Amino acid sequence: MWILIRDAITYACMLILMSIGLTLTYITTKVPNFAHGEIAIIGLYTAFSVLHLLHLTPYAAIPIAFVLGAGAALALYKLVLKPLSARGATIDHLMIATLGYDMIIFAILNVYAETLRELYPRFTGKPLKTRGFMPFKAHDFTLAGQPGVFFTSLATVLICTLALHLLLTKTRFGIAMRATIENPDLASVFGVNTELVYTVSWILAGGLAGLAGVFLSFYFRGDTCLGFVLIVPVFTASIVGGFYSIYGAILGGAIAGLSEYLITYAISLAVGPWFLGYRITIPLIMLAITLLLAPEGLTGIEWSKVLRQLRAKLAGLSSRAVARLTGVVGR
Amino acid sequence: MIPPVFLFVLDTVAIISIYLIATLSLNIQYGYTGIADFGKSAGVAVGAYVVGAIPGRLLAALLAVEGDYIWDNTPVVSAINGVLSSDVALSLGTLALALLLAASFGAALGFLASYPVARLKGEYLAIFMLAVSEAMRYVFHCYTPAIGGPYGVLTPDPFGFLGAYRIAGAAIIITGISLALFYYSERLARSPLGRTLRAIRDCDIAAEVLGKDVAGYRTKIMVLSSAMAAIAGALYAFYITYVSAIAYDRVTWTFWPWTILIIGGMANNVGVMVGTIAFIVLKRLIIIFKRPLEPFLPFDVVWLEYILLGLMLILMLMFKPEGLLPEKPTRTIDLSRYEDRLKRRQG
Repeated sequence: MWILIRDAITYACMLILMSIGLTLTYITTKVPNFAHGEIAIIGLYTAFSVLHLLHLTPYAAIPIAFVLGAGAALALYKLVLKPLSARGATIDHLMIATLGYDMIIFAILNVYAETLRELYPRFTGKPLKTRGFMPFKAHDFTLAGQPGVFFTSLATVLICTLALHLLLTKTRFGIAMRATIENPDLASVFGVNTELVYTVSWILAGGLAGLAGVFLSFYFRGDTCLGFVLIVPVFTASIVGGFYSIYGAILGGAIAGLSEYLITYAISLAVGPWFLGYRITIPLIMLAITLLLAPEGLTGIEWSKVLRQLRAKLAGLSSRAVARLTGVVGR
Repeated sequence: MIPPVFLFVLDTVAIISIYLIATLSLNIQYGYTGIADFGKSAGVAVGAYVVGAIPGRLLAALLAVEGDYIWDNTPVVSAINGVLSSDVALSLGTLALALLLAASFGAALGFLASYPVARLKGEYLAIFMLAVSEAMRYVFHCYTPAIGGPYGVLTPDPFGFLGAYRIAGAAIIITGISLALFYYSERLARSPLGRTLRAIRDCDIAAEVLGKDVAGYRTKIMVLSSAMAAIAGALYAFYITYVSAIAYDRVTWTFWPWTILIIGGMANNVGVMVGTIAFIVLKRLIIIFKRPLEPFLPFDVVWLEYILLGLMLILMLMFKPEGLLPEKPTRTIDLSRYEDRLKRRQG
């Protein structure tokens, strides 16, 4: 049971790291980035290279993965999305451009993986599996009998959450960022450098995705097409939490990650282990329910209003019941 | 015998026709009605999955072929193909019935999808459709009983009776179907329905104010275009006689139709045709020219193709977002005829 919860938490932490970035770029530049999953895979392949080429622990890849992920995201913003919106592209065109960028990253990763597979044996004399390799569980440290990735991913998420909270509430730049999210035109009138805000959010988003990729390497079978699958739970996390709130991304990542893992396991216990293959349906159903019932997400719902309505309804019910009872007694 | 060069050309024609159907369906959906469907691959996949799952089983039952359809797939299908290759009527009947089934399953998917389409806008719809198409692919990849999951299934070959002329015949039949659908799309675009759709695309509130049932039209278009996409998927499955769930991914059947639509021109069926021909011919040329490159590169040249096509799309969006053939005002009735009639009435 503990192992299950531990793995669910680890997975949720990776989702949180990715959904924070997805939400951040969405609320600033208003484009859902379909290349976000593949950017995380850049981090995964950085970890792979650091392990096999430099013979270091995959954790040593964290700074490189951050830089590469940030670079990929920044290039998407500066070279593709910004020129496109300057030319008046519609949201549909921006989205299809991110899909195109996703395909380009996917192709570059494949080029890298296949080149490495060809060249590695020439220099070392040993074959190397560069696609569909097993998770690096054996290369992880253990602490109190638990795999290190549990602690590192959890710590990273906690630090990121705290740092983001401090950035957004306590610093001048964070307030400028919130102002830009709220109303970019007004913010720039007040002297906020909105372009800098956008640049920083894309760097943060890509960097965190790269970071998540390093953690993914301990957990998933490494493959270039992993980003295609990941995009479903990551978008689910962002949307369940509320696509307009960074805190929502954290909440959504936790909920989506934990429930995907635990619900899948619970169902597989009930119906048989064959259900484990259908894991992807859980986030899809969550996404569908959220989008169709409350597209604003958990942080977007005005809970006080909902509670008031609920209370009013309950009060109405009880007063009706009282009236009926008194009516019965009166008769 | 047909020389190999001709076979290559015929094969190209068949693939162009299949992509033409898929992109026309996207054009009706996005070009004319403004529904940005990022899950186009789901519609195409449904058609292919129907072809993988149903006609083979029906034929096996009809011809009393022994064996499990999934686990003894190769012997069962080759027994069926043995009968089909000498029975023209049964072959064409299978093709027609399977296309009909694929279109109805596609229509059903479109009807289901119209529920979110009526309620979600822009990016939310795009995310939802993309997620549905990805999830569907993985579910069928895991679910072995329908179309063999990770192993895939062979489909009965309705073009087998053509023998050595299989590719030529298949190309002619597929091109015929796709031209018929092209004619239909063109008629649809010029009809009052086409005008209504453009009105909905440009301003749905105005269309609603003028008494148009916007949600109803969107549902109709979802049903129609999913059915068309399913026909493309079904034809593709029959053409390559193999269905594997994982192959209907978002690059091949969502991203490429979108790229073609953007190259060719939104809301212009002729543009879509030009775009499809240009795109597939370009891809084919890459296939020809990659042969001499292959020995020098340590990786598959297909990735260079991906990078090239991705860059092409982004550049197209930047410098010519309206496509090669931009949308033109459609002439619904011949203007000269209208003027004649007007003159006669006045004079």
